[in-house]
Amino acid sequence: MNKQSVPVRLEKVTKIFKDPKTKTDVAAVNEADFEIAPGELVTLLGPSGCGKTTTLRMIGGFELPTRGRIVIGGEDVTFLPPNGRATATVFQSYGLFPHLSVFDNVAYGLRVRKVEKGELKRRVDEALALVGLSELAGRAPSRLSGGQQQRVALARSLVVEPKVLLLDEPLSNLDALLREQMRVEIRRIQKALGITAVYVTHDRVEAMSLSDRVIVMKNGVIRQVGSPSRIYEDPDSKFVAGFVGKVAFFPVTLEGEDGGAFVCSLSGKKVRAARRSPGVRSGDAAFLMARPESLRLGAPGAGVADGTVSANVYLGSSVESFVSTEYGEILVQIDDPAEKKVWPEGSRVSISFNEALIRVLPGGDD
Amino acid sequence: MFTKKKIIAFLAALAVFLAADLWMFSALKGSFAKTLGESQRQLATAVASSAPAEAEAVPAWLQAAGTSYPGVGLLYLRGLPGIDAEVAEYGRDEALVALYREAAASPGFAKGIESASYLETYLSTESYQVGATRARLLFAPVYNETRDMATGLVIVALDDSKLASFAGLADSLAIVAFALFALAFGVATFSRDPLTGYAILGLFGIAAAFVAYPLFQALKLTFLRDGRFSLSVWGQVLGNKQYLQALWGSVKLGCLTATYSTVIGFLFAFAVSRTTIKGKKLLTALATMPVISPPFSLTLSIILLFGNNGLVTKRLLNLEGFSIYGLGGLSLVQTISMFPIAFLTLSGVLQAIDSTLEEASLDLNASRWGTFKRVTMPLAAPGLLSAWLLVFTNSLADFANPLLLAGSYRVLSVESYIEVTGMNRLANGSALSILLLLPTLTAFFIQRSWVSKRSFVVVTGKPSGRLSDLASPGVRRALAGFIILVSVFIVSLYGTIVAGCFVKNWGIDYSFTLSNIGEALTRGKDALVSTLVLAGVATPIAGILSMIAAVLVVRKKFPGKRLLEALVMTPFAIPGTLVGISYILAFNQPPILLVGTGAILVICYVVRELPVGLEGGVATLRQIDPSIEEAASDLGADQATIFRTVVLPLIRPAFISSMSYTFVRSMTAVSAIIFLISARWYHITIQIYNFSENIRFGLASVLSTTLIVIVLAVFGLMRLLVRQSENLEKTVSVQ
Repeated sequence: MNKQSVPVRLEKVTKIFKDPKTKTDVAAVNEADFEIAPGELVTLLGPSGCGKTTTLRMIGGFELPTRGRIVIGGEDVTFLPPNGRATATVFQSYGLFPHLSVFDNVAYGLRVRKVEKGELKRRVDEALALVGLSELAGRAPSRLSGGQQQRVALARSLVVEPKVLLLDEPLSNLDALLREQMRVEIRRIQKALGITAVYVTHDRVEAMSLSDRVIVMKNGVIRQVGSPSRIYEDPDSKFVAGFVGKVAFFPVTLEGEDGGAFVCSLSGKKVRAARRSPGVRSGDAAFLMARPESLRLGAPGAGVADGTVSANVYLGSSVESFVSTEYGEILVQIDDPAEKKVWPEGSRVSISFNEALIRVLPGGDD
Repeated sequence: MFTKKKIIAFLAALAVFLAADLWMFSALKGSFAKTLGESQRQLATAVASSAPAEAEAVPAWLQAAGTSYPGVGLLYLRGLPGIDAEVAEYGRDEALVALYREAAASPGFAKGIESASYLETYLSTESYQVGATRARLLFAPVYNETRDMATGLVIVALDDSKLASFAGLADSLAIVAFALFALAFGVATFSRDPLTGYAILGLFGIAAAFVAYPLFQALKLTFLRDGRFSLSVWGQVLGNKQYLQALWGSVKLGCLTATYSTVIGFLFAFAVSRTTIKGKKLLTALATMPVISPPFSLTLSIILLFGNNGLVTKRLLNLEGFSIYGLGGLSLVQTISMFPIAFLTLSGVLQAIDSTLEEASLDLNASRWGTFKRVTMPLAAPGLLSAWLLVFTNSLADFANPLLLAGSYRVLSVESYIEVTGMNRLANGSALSILLLLPTLTAFFIQRSWVSKRSFVVVTGKPSGRLSDLASPGVRRALAGFIILVSVFIVSLYGTIVAGCFVKNWGIDYSFTLSNIGEALTRGKDALVSTLVLAGVATPIAGILSMIAAVLVVRKKFPGKRLLEALVMTPFAIPGTLVGISYILAFNQPPILLVGTGAILVICYVVRELPVGLEGGVATLRQIDPSIEEAASDLGADQATIFRTVVLPLIRPAFISSMSYTFVRSMTAVSAIIFLISARWYHITIQIYNFSENIRFGLASVLSTTLIVIVLAVFGLMRLLVRQSENLEKTVSVQ
């Protein structure tokens, strides 16, 4: 871990906007309260309008919280302007200075800090080398590709040696292939520098593959915080479960515990699940959450729910079978299709669970 | 932000400043009162010591004292009341005598009389109401010959109003100083972005001092008579047939000009955007020429061609009884100078109408005329109305053309000028200018409420590259013929001005001469230089201010933003004559005495051209990704650095055009500045006007041509600079 790395803490940060049409107050961010460890990369994940970008902008100083405190490395920065805090932001639209060359773009922050000329050149060259753009230093930003512009924006932020790097959907303007490359690159650079980073995205794959921890938000409220695998395997709500991956829900009642497993009844049938969200008690109406890979297909009557295969989608390493059941269309993933049986479209099948992977979630729609 | 610690520190600092402020100004007031009191006492003592003891000499003395010290109330008492048995009163001032009779027994008078009996002078500590003024009383003894006994008493009323007005001024200064300190210090303490705070305060200050305050003064004056509220000015204005005639004249002229201009403007715009005629660029340049040409120049050439001694009317046709002066000539000149406004508006509208709509109509077997009637016209209708309204308001505010060409026809703008400069009736002048605002405001609200709602043009999005051809060959020929006719007329008008430079005595002696040039440049040199200097000073100020204002309007959130925007935009909507009159009213007395200085002209230019620069800046800034500025801030730049290194380079085209616009408009200003010029700071356009009025058309032509050359040069330079910066910055595209 880098010696310079600092923690970031948000204490009950709330941002209230006035809706221009209805003239009512809307909480864009509601009591956000979390801490980011030094050198950690945390992703704010959620659908658009969930308050993730507003949260990031408050950390960067572009918006003022209505209530609450923001502390970076022990210093209360809540009211400091952006130029007064040790954060650097990579903007969704990059915000490159169109009238300056790549070199001058990267040098901007150092010039403002009155860094001596020789050192300035050395540091800019270093930053450009880090993102692999050394040979394009003299170009105008308008003559760069999207990916290159993205790298310039990153270099420009990194060259001032910020304590916290803020990334606002930095990859959303890139095409799919480039996005995957840049994802790896950002992760590599962030870890190499050991810089604390906050990353905003609505793309779950991006969030999962990049982050040390993910913060899932909805309607201004933080719904869950945890490592990518925890968020994926052990979500605490239908919303989080659905937002971070493909999933099927079965309405059940939790009956009790039996030898480390939670026993539910699904339309009268007993189902055992190894996992349970802490909010669910015995006797509660609940949902059983099943990821496609935790489901198996068998002959009719063998499993917990019968249905008909409505479509098979071949993906190379796996096949996704869509099965129409009384619980809706259920997605079942069949790995190694060459070795396992793929039921043809139209055949009657039965779905059964992998007990270790399924989880009981609280009832309700959310 | 508002933390407890900061609020306490702020309040403490305010308290300290308030104490210092009060102490300073009360000390100032005290010392002023002392000096004033001292000099008044000396004066009064001198008056009293010259008083004679003999009764016979008193009336003569009173007379003499009255002439040497006018305005000082005097009362001579022969014998001391309460001591001597007999007291005779000799008063010059009825009010003072009355006061004495009423208050002789009061403690103040008793003290004064007692002091006199001890041979001492006494200045009353309280002030008394003597007639209309507040005054303090000085009691001075009148001695006998041996100067050891008082035989009488002189009471002198010393006017207190000077002291009171000074005290009032000092108080208001103290309050202003405190308010300024509180605001500035408040911004510095509580704002996370003090510079923006100061910019907002500064702009508010400018808008309040140079927009709101003068207009308020002008409005106030129309509701006052002898210092009291009264509707008599308005009664007089609205009851006066001559004024109503002027109002009607303005409206009639406005309607004619607006209608002609809209028709011609539409034909030009249609030709440029819906036909395949050649030379569109040249046509556009030619059609926009009159809008930037200096005032008086078109009027001048119309007079040269069609005036009483005009080339066409007298020399070529020898018409009798024809007069270009009046409604006909005016609407002709105004149409030529204002149809470009309609043309620019309408070509924008026509270009924004998606041609695919017309193609769809043609494709559905409608004829070209049918398509024009059912598709193009309805879509362009709101644009037509808004062009009409724009020309209408411009025609009403026009001052220069009617000034030379109205003859006996009355329009409001000229009428208010005559009221102010000719008759010195400022109140009537402001009332007339305000009256001029009514049709303008009506037009503005029609535009706001009706036109903007009915506009379909915005729906279409991107203009299609290709525009459909809606004219049949016959129509195209007729259109081209008409356009060539108008163009030739415009060109010949400018040609006439140039020709006028080289003609000895237009109308009488058409022989060639170069002497005009020398004489005009010698006599107009001072005016030209001072105009160039003042416009040159105003230009960068207006440019920078308008860009700062644009940044505040587009990028910053602060209370009162709408108000600030409205205030800054106001001078754009109000007629120049009103601005001129209100400036005279507001700035011809202390504390802000500016009339007669160059500063008032510079301020007038800046305030009047700020709205256009602001609009341009706002439009440009809206197209720039705000995260560019946020990135700069994020990288450590403060607001001033961001403005200098990022904003200004990015809005350079708007900045340059705002500056060149300010320069040109300042050089060619007439309506507001004609009230504000002085012998020291003269203006080139007024010089042209004077030459024309004195039938020195040759000289007027030379100065007009000079001005046209300067204007064209500035616009050429601007286009060059803007094109350069456009090449420089192809903004980073966001997919």
